[in-house]
Amino acid sequence: MNKQFRFRFAALALAMSAGVAQADSAVIDNSFYPYQAEKPAFAGLSAGLTINKANVAQFKDIIDPAFYGFIEKGWLDMQVGETTSFDLHPNYVEATRQGQDKVKLGAKPGEIEGWVAGRPFPQEPDANDPRAGEKLAWNYKYGYNWGDSAAISPFYWKYRDMDSAKVERTIKFDFHFLNFTGRVNQQPLPAITPNPSQLFRGIYVKVLEPYDVRNTQLLIHRAEDDLKRDNSWLYLGFQRRVRRLATGQVTDAFLGSDLMIEDFEGYNGRISDMNWSYKGTKFLLMPFYNHNDLTLDSETHKDSDGYQVVAFAGQGGCFPNITWQLRKVYEVESAPVEGSHPLSKRVHYVDAQTFTVPRTISYDRKGSLWKTFTIGQAHPDHHLAKNKGSGVSIDDSFSMIDVQAMHCTTGQFKGQVDPAMSKPEMFSVQHMRATGN
Amino acid sequence: MQTRIRKSLKHWTLATLAGAGCGLTPLAAVLADEEMQVTGFVENATFARDSVGLSKFRNTLQVNADRKFGDLGQLNFNNTAFHATFRGTYDGVYDLNSSEYGSGAGGAIELENSVAGNSVPHGGGLTVPGTLLGFDQARNPNEGMIVLGENLHKTRGGVAFGVPVRPCDKDSRGCIDDYLDASSDDLRFPEFNERLDFIRELYADFDNELPNGDILSWRLGKQQVIWGRTDLFRVLDVINPVDYSRNNIYDELEDIRIPMWIAKADWRMGAGELFDDLNLSFVWNFDKFRPHNLGQCGGPNSILDAACFFRGMNNLWENGGTVANFANGNIATDFGPGQIGIRKAHMPSWSLSNTQFGIKLEGVYGDFGFSLNALTYRSQLPSLRGGIPATNAFTGETAVWPSLIAFDIHFPRVNLLGGSMDYYSQAIDTVFRVEVAHTEGEEFANTLQSRLFSESDVTRYVIGADKNIFIPLLNPGRAFLFSAQLFGQHIHEHQEETRALGKVGMPDWEQNWIGTLLVKGWWMNDRLSPQLLAAHDFKAQATAIAPSVEYLFSDNLKITAGANIKVGRGAREYDDCRTCNPWDPFTSAGQPEGMSLGLSGYEPLGRFRAGPIGMAQKEDELQLTLRYSF
Repeated sequence: MNKQFRFRFAALALAMSAGVAQADSAVIDNSFYPYQAEKPAFAGLSAGLTINKANVAQFKDIIDPAFYGFIEKGWLDMQVGETTSFDLHPNYVEATRQGQDKVKLGAKPGEIEGWVAGRPFPQEPDANDPRAGEKLAWNYKYGYNWGDSAAISPFYWKYRDMDSAKVERTIKFDFHFLNFTGRVNQQPLPAITPNPSQLFRGIYVKVLEPYDVRNTQLLIHRAEDDLKRDNSWLYLGFQRRVRRLATGQVTDAFLGSDLMIEDFEGYNGRISDMNWSYKGTKFLLMPFYNHNDLTLDSETHKDSDGYQVVAFAGQGGCFPNITWQLRKVYEVESAPVEGSHPLSKRVHYVDAQTFTVPRTISYDRKGSLWKTFTIGQAHPDHHLAKNKGSGVSIDDSFSMIDVQAMHCTTGQFKGQVDPAMSKPEMFSVQHMRATGN
Repeated sequence: MQTRIRKSLKHWTLATLAGAGCGLTPLAAVLADEEMQVTGFVENATFARDSVGLSKFRNTLQVNADRKFGDLGQLNFNNTAFHATFRGTYDGVYDLNSSEYGSGAGGAIELENSVAGNSVPHGGGLTVPGTLLGFDQARNPNEGMIVLGENLHKTRGGVAFGVPVRPCDKDSRGCIDDYLDASSDDLRFPEFNERLDFIRELYADFDNELPNGDILSWRLGKQQVIWGRTDLFRVLDVINPVDYSRNNIYDELEDIRIPMWIAKADWRMGAGELFDDLNLSFVWNFDKFRPHNLGQCGGPNSILDAACFFRGMNNLWENGGTVANFANGNIATDFGPGQIGIRKAHMPSWSLSNTQFGIKLEGVYGDFGFSLNALTYRSQLPSLRGGIPATNAFTGETAVWPSLIAFDIHFPRVNLLGGSMDYYSQAIDTVFRVEVAHTEGEEFANTLQSRLFSESDVTRYVIGADKNIFIPLLNPGRAFLFSAQLFGQHIHEHQEETRALGKVGMPDWEQNWIGTLLVKGWWMNDRLSPQLLAAHDFKAQATAIAPSVEYLFSDNLKITAGANIKVGRGAREYDDCRTCNPWDPFTSAGQPEGMSLGLSGYEPLGRFRAGPIGMAQKEDELQLTLRYSF
């Protein structure tokens, strides 16, 4: 190889490398900052608009079919807000950059290789990729979600009759979340050690009210290995004893609510339990808002820092009184692998920027609409002061509506991104015994 | 009365000191802006029993107080918290059904006299001139009594005697001081007693962070300490005694464990290289000893009917009495005081050596949870030890007589080693629970021994399985809980022989098993929950079936309707020591002194073969409970 040729070859390699770097950067920017260049728009839609029974037909293309039906029936009026960017924490973005192109799906659904932290597959989904839906599911599972740790304290669940609007039951919880691996922000990074069972995430729940379930505690250990089922323990206040739980029945209603255990956060099962398919990218009205700008519920929760929870309104009090903004979403369908599953499929509307799942529609085995799940997302900079700058899209309200039973369960959160509230020792079986009474 | 008040004040002082010892008082200023959480409930439980009528009209007020103090840096106390539970109960059954359970209970009785094919009144049994057989009926009149075991079985050729059943302030006969001596108010208001049972719990929690990051968690005060993984029956969960008088074995243990003053420390090592969680727990029960509350004869719940046996026996010792079918195995016989019966209960006094200590190592290893347990404690069940000096009814000599049915009650020290394990099988989505305890020092009735008891090592174990199963036909949205358990008990030094008239030795089965099954479902968003609980004692051939339905009207108001039905064989027979020949040659049928020939009846030892389910065969109930919580 002569000198001239060597020089040309090196220049070509450098140029190619710069091009790749630019391409990688564009992928990251596109994934995490989709509204940087331009915000989405739709004819006739503007912030402050109320969509109701009278004008909903005009916006059919930007409302998911279940919600469209609700507005058409007059069950709620939808308030439109401005599209805003929910920037995730820069460390999560950087972890994605570091891991870019190093993550691969394994041979079977539920297997993944090379992931350390961040979003595993930041590239736009490819409709021709048969495993595109599965990649989006992984992005959700390893999403920034509640960050490295957080608490919902307190968390009010109300069981409501949708016809009479009667609140049948109110349960007050504390929820705590902790990521053992994939940590990007809170020390230690990137993982809590020792971690002999290779746990990915811990969830700890304590029931505060009412009396009959008070002091019930639930601990869930989720392994990094998606093929492994969770290990769960239950502390029953009236027994004062920790029981290990069988966790296979994830379609069981949680404490009698309208949520299956599998419904939590949009999807709470194993990736390998579903066949995932990517159905397309859309712009839809989604429940993203600034908590502090809302008219809040002044009755349910009062505390010394003046925080109030999201109010509910509409048919049966089943709809969060929030604003909705036009956002980029991925429509993903999950169909159970097991034929005995009570659902035929779920349709998830995954927010492209945050990879939260604010809207899910569930269909029964006959294919009829059964339940719809809404998780309101609050911007962290317009919430509690301690959440400002956390880069967490705050789960702030939820509504699971069983349209067949005309019943719903609503959730009102005080989400707190505060590592002091979710210390690792809290996620141990002994903690349940030590604090139970 | 003054004595009682003084005693009460003494206990109050102790309680206050203990509270102060928990380190709370000096911290009051720090805690001024913390909020106390107060919760509780009022409850009415009304039960009706077959052929008896009202068997419970229990009204309960329970108040819980919780206060979190957080971290108190200057003391290195983290997560400091305080908890108190106060409970007061009034059971109106002693007033509303006083002819069964209160001041009007019992009556005049007759005792079987098979030799003549008839019965004789209490005091109408055999007396022999020139002997000390016979008793003063003025001290032990034929009133306010039942025949031992009459609620379950007829005498049918066995032994029986009269048992006073009225509260001890109405009739003190057979009341054993400091053990089974409840007055009307003690029965009506069971928590308001010398031990201040209305303070069910009063403890402080705090953590100390150790230099290596481990945590030392403390709980100091009156509390329940729960070991083990099983429901309904206890294998490792033996630290607190149990109040069986509340509802036999059927109430939640949380409500019937008797809290004790205990210091508990947990060294929480957390996750390590091998274990997901590891904890070493130390338990020091420094409270004055308390046995199980077995109920009182004349009350609706007397597990194994033991309290009636004890009261009748103590009455025989104190006052003498008529024993059915005794002499010659078929003649009702009048014994004098100090000849047979129970003399007294030796209640362990408070001393350092009488306190109880336990250690538990507990951890999680992946899909396995485990514990290793060791405990030295006092048996909470009584042991009847014969061999006390008694009067020979024929000679008047006072001496220790072999195999004489004259006893003192003791609570022997017991040492326990055990362990437990749980495991989640992903393959069949089922949780398995195993628990084993091996004890040494327990004592059992044994008619082969001259003191009529012997000590034996005992192994108890339980295997349980929990599984949630969907039955779409019944409920497509909510799985049913199926929980099954099999308890086993093996008495290692079991002794039994067959003699001319029957088996003699230890009436407890050498090996026995009890199976339980719980099926629970939920409808209407968990506001309606029926369940079926069943327990079967294999050797006793006795089964209890307890269906119930719970309905939540609101977050505050709950109603529970249920039944408790027993089926099976009921009373069982065993050697009753009529043929033990303690006073040779007067009581001999040709056998050597102190040797039983095995003549058997239902009383008194058949209860150990019938077990708690078999002995309650005639206690079918309908139960209704209303609870308003706040």
